[in-house]
Amino acid sequence: MKNQIVFFFFLFVLTISREAFAQVYKTEGGNVEFFSKAPLNEFTGKSDKLNGLIDLEKNDLDFFIDLNTLKTGIGLRDRHMRENYLETKKYPFAEFVGKINEKVSLKSGESKDVIAVGTFKIHGVEKQIKVPGKITAISSNEIKLEASFKVLLSDYKIEIPKVVFYELAEEQTVSISTTLKK
Amino acid sequence: MKIRFILMMFFLSQPIMAQLERKLANETQEVDLIFHAPRHINLLTVEPLDKKTLHFAIMHTFGPLNGGVQNLFGLDNGANIQFSFEYALGEDFSLGASRSSRDKFYNLYGRYHLLKQTQDDAMPISLSMMGGAGVNTSDYTFLQTENPSFSERTSFAAQLMMARKFSDKLSVQVSPMMAYFTDPNPIFFIEGDQNLYLAVGLSGKYKITGRSSLTFQYIPNLNNDLRNNVGVGIDVEAGGHVFQMYFVTSQALNEQYLLAAGNGRIGEEFRIGFNVNRVFATGRKRR
Repeated sequence: MKNQIVFFFFLFVLTISREAFAQVYKTEGGNVEFFSKAPLNEFTGKSDKLNGLIDLEKNDLDFFIDLNTLKTGIGLRDRHMRENYLETKKYPFAEFVGKINEKVSLKSGESKDVIAVGTFKIHGVEKQIKVPGKITAISSNEIKLEASFKVLLSDYKIEIPKVVFYELAEEQTVSISTTLKK
Repeated sequence: MKIRFILMMFFLSQPIMAQLERKLANETQEVDLIFHAPRHINLLTVEPLDKKTLHFAIMHTFGPLNGGVQNLFGLDNGANIQFSFEYALGEDFSLGASRSSRDKFYNLYGRYHLLKQTQDDAMPISLSMMGGAGVNTSDYTFLQTENPSFSERTSFAAQLMMARKFSDKLSVQVSPMMAYFTDPNPIFFIEGDQNLYLAVGLSGKYKITGRSSLTFQYIPNLNNDLRNNVGVGIDVEAGGHVFQMYFVTSQALNEQYLLAAGNGRIGEEFRIGFNVNRVFATGRKRR
């Protein structure tokens, strides 16, 4: 009985302390956009369901998105994207797990350009990438992250059939913009 | 006890791994592309159109294959061509108009989607219904002094479409159908002589590559002795188009004539058929 009380007491203290000192920021509603610029057709796909975590203490980053939430504005194109290209039933998520290359400690209103290094995974294929981005401290418990990087579809075994070569670009520009809260 | 306690403390005080749990935004999302297009050989499918999109299909069937190379396997014999336009007024409802060259037949129809299959099987099937009314506008004055009246030229169709995507490859649709001819006049291009025709349409799709499928259609008649409709073919997605090539026993392209116009014998009296489907998005802001 006594042990149990001590145990819960420690547990309580630990949780408190972790809450108080951790520099973990999270979001479940970040914006992602990809832009495809092919000779005959340009379009963007968007989602506002980016899930992310930034730990400024340990410089850790973890982001993922349910690819089913991407919308290009044409329903049939979305269905083809899910079924034929991203194969979202098999590979529902795109994810990035990595680290920020330097320690970031910002006061409210300050911002800093950083580079994240890590693993990007989509369509079941993992690749090491470097992503330049910008972190802005909005307030003591809110930060904003903006980043942009390019994805070559062939790197991730997403094939473009020759007949749609003019409509779908091989190189896609992915931009993210999100506010994360402690 | 103490050791376990210390171990536990140690475990708890470890920094939490900075990893989020991967979870889907929407567990009960609808299944994509049960069929490649709203049309499948000659039958309509449960495949919905997005609001404010227009589906356009050009469908052809040619003469029977048994003429051999002399008739270029039926391509020399007059084709039946149907143009069909279907516009989605909402996510669940679309209105269509089609015109077949055989009997210069105009058809107006609606499709309503009642249920949509979801990926987690909370809803295991998609269910849609269709109703249509058509009129034959051929001129018969070369045969008889008086043309049939407008109402004598009308015919109606209704069907329920129940479909399920069983796997990434296999989709099946069962469609109980009926057609009603106000006056089954023998000068029309129909074989049946009764007013009401009942049948069950069966459609199957089996995906062979990422963008093409083998297709199948069988429409057994329930209340008459006409031959049953059989079709086999292939669907190919190319860019925004879906091409459907098939062999089928009937030259009919609309629901009424599919049930009443009769069918050739399977095999030698197959005909070559060909559909092109395209979806246009309207009412969308240009970037």
